[in-house]
Amino acid sequence: MFRVELLPSNSHAQPGWSYVADRGLGPSKAATAPTLGRKRGIRDAGKGGDISSRRANAIARHIADLDRENQRDVTIPVPVKQAKEAGARKTREKTTSNVRRILMSQKTFKNHLDDEEAAIAAGGGGLSAVQIGGGGGANMNAAAVAAAVKAGKDAVAATVARRSSTPMTTPSTPAARRKRPSAAVTATSTPTPAPSQPDTTDAEAENDTEEPKPKLLKTEYDNDPLLQSYAPKMPSDRIMQLLLAEPALSYNASRVAPPHASQPPRNFCYMCGYWGKIRCGAFF
Amino acid sequence: MGTSKARAAAKPAKKAAPEVPSRRIPQKTFIIDNGAYTMKAGYASSDATTTEEALSACTTIPNCLVKTRDNRIVVGPQISSTVNDWNEAMFRRPVEKGYLVNWEAEREIWEQSFFEEKATARNKGIRIPTPEDTTLVLTEAPNTMPVLQRNTDEMVMEEWGFGGYVRCLGPTLNAWNEVHSLFGDPLRKPETDILPADCLLVVDSGYSHTTVTPVYRGLPIQRAIRRLDIGGKHLTNYLKEIVSMRQYNMVDESYIMNEVKESVCFVTNDFTTDMEKTWKANLKRQAASDDSIVVDFVLPDPNANKKGFMRPHDPLLAAKKKKGALSGLSSEILSEDVLVLGNERFAVPELLFRPSDIGMKQAGVPEMILQSLSVLPPGLHAAFLANVLVVGGNASIPGFMERLEAELRQITSSECVVRVRRAEDPICSTWLGGSRLANNREELSKVAISRSEYQEYGSGWAGRRFAGNI
Repeated sequence: MFRVELLPSNSHAQPGWSYVADRGLGPSKAATAPTLGRKRGIRDAGKGGDISSRRANAIARHIADLDRENQRDVTIPVPVKQAKEAGARKTREKTTSNVRRILMSQKTFKNHLDDEEAAIAAGGGGLSAVQIGGGGGANMNAAAVAAAVKAGKDAVAATVARRSSTPMTTPSTPAARRKRPSAAVTATSTPTPAPSQPDTTDAEAENDTEEPKPKLLKTEYDNDPLLQSYAPKMPSDRIMQLLLAEPALSYNASRVAPPHASQPPRNFCYMCGYWGKIRCGAFF
Repeated sequence: MGTSKARAAAKPAKKAAPEVPSRRIPQKTFIIDNGAYTMKAGYASSDATTTEEALSACTTIPNCLVKTRDNRIVVGPQISSTVNDWNEAMFRRPVEKGYLVNWEAEREIWEQSFFEEKATARNKGIRIPTPEDTTLVLTEAPNTMPVLQRNTDEMVMEEWGFGGYVRCLGPTLNAWNEVHSLFGDPLRKPETDILPADCLLVVDSGYSHTTVTPVYRGLPIQRAIRRLDIGGKHLTNYLKEIVSMRQYNMVDESYIMNEVKESVCFVTNDFTTDMEKTWKANLKRQAASDDSIVVDFVLPDPNANKKGFMRPHDPLLAAKKKKGALSGLSSEILSEDVLVLGNERFAVPELLFRPSDIGMKQAGVPEMILQSLSVLPPGLHAAFLANVLVVGGNASIPGFMERLEAELRQITSSECVVRVRRAEDPICSTWLGGSRLANNREELSKVAISRSEYQEYGSGWAGRRFAGNI
């Protein structure tokens, strides 16, 4: 749109006063003064990051397109049985009401998903409640398992911290050479080592312990915290039973999360497929 | 609150009661791995000694209705024999996003595949003459909605009335396969009874999605199951979209583009280098070298009854063709349509590892494995990382395994052994595991329900039982 306005005829600043935008000094004032246009500010709000809502919509549409079975919407009816063919097939006594209901149902996956989301939002009503709720026992189980997972993580974190303070040792030092027997000792002292872990070093270590060399095993470095190796224990049978007894997650909960380390987005040219910084207007 | 505990307490008592032998699960076992693209079906054979023998009983059937260009509608099992012209073929699949949603279509496909009255050459080995004397092992994708599970149970037991029935997660069946030799573990002893692997992390990359399932002694650990919403369908559609934009309009040619994808696509181990190799400005320099990535795909010609195929790229062909008959090329070559595929070959399967390339906010397959393990006790991490089994059609993409192993190695702790293996037959591996489970009658009868039980307790009970609550 064109706008007509009267420009001042003299360009030099005049003494006196004029209106200026109040950019303010305090953060509260700075926040109220948008640097960009008002509309763009609204569009970007709450989207997190540099992605505009228009862009997000375009991506969602693109992903939905990739999920399509056919490019165009087509209805492919199930072919009607010929009388001859129908006779050739086994005649069943009768169809139950359940079967009739299922066959008549025209619900798509989207409909079912919406139903499930609604049921979960309403506090786990309907059919999903049976499996998702699970009663008090399940809650207790979840707490126990969570505790087990957390305890293990803490231990890992502790060892990582300890290890990071460990000075680098070359394999030729005697301390490092003695490391393996001590590792074997700790491994055998654990009640249940990982059964199906075919670690070659583990196998060697076991061979070492089988040989009757108790003198070699006992050294003054045995209790050196720098040389202790840590292998997380297999969880107990009870924990495993609790883990296996847990109910299935919902469809949305089982979707994989965004990548942990944010990779820089890669952009490609739509025509040649090579790296491209500019997105041409064909899609976005 | 208290009821579930009471139920759990009642369970062992129930098992100990002499009820178990009285439960009659029919000996004959039929296994259906009901995938979105194809279903894998067949009887479990008890006397098969080798994997090949057992697999010979497995038949792969397209799980769809096809509408061809001349408006014929063809149902699953007849497709391979009747459809020759795949141009503009349209599909209707009863399995949507990996989950069996539309039973109207699925029933028709099952009827024509398994329940024909007469035995013919086509349904040999997959006909079920008497469902009431047959135990059905049916797979489902992880995290199926309870409503869909109940629909499935009701259809199987009320429409066809199988004598015995097991519904289980597809990936878990892989644990019953002989994976020790695959991973190069020494066999402990000649085992007589078939037991599942202790710890197996199953990556199932199929048509609709890719899932990670930690399987512990044949049972899934539900809290750690993760799903990436990218499967073979997305790759095909992505390739279709790119090619339609750059070369010919192929938007209606899903089937043909799937063939193109299967024959040309590969997973790169070095994205940046391969990208440079295929850059147009670098092509001239590359032309002399043999390891050029660019290939030609000659599109199928149904009128001449010719199939599509791949061949090395000939940069001069386009120029020669412009000259037409003067160039001295045969009319056959002049009439063929060729797609030139460069970076499309590896940029498309790259989505499995970098979903962010199309803006999808989901982690790639290697990180998905880590996310799955992160909710498990650390004591299990090493055992699962050392036993990663990849199944599903995408496992056959060249380079997939190498890339997965390399990336997984990079992001895991150096103390863990990382072993990633592809199943011998990645597509039928789940079915094969089911057939081995079927030979362990004791384990099978633990998970199966019989027809009379279903009639007595109903579908709600069946659902709870398959969920492991009873």
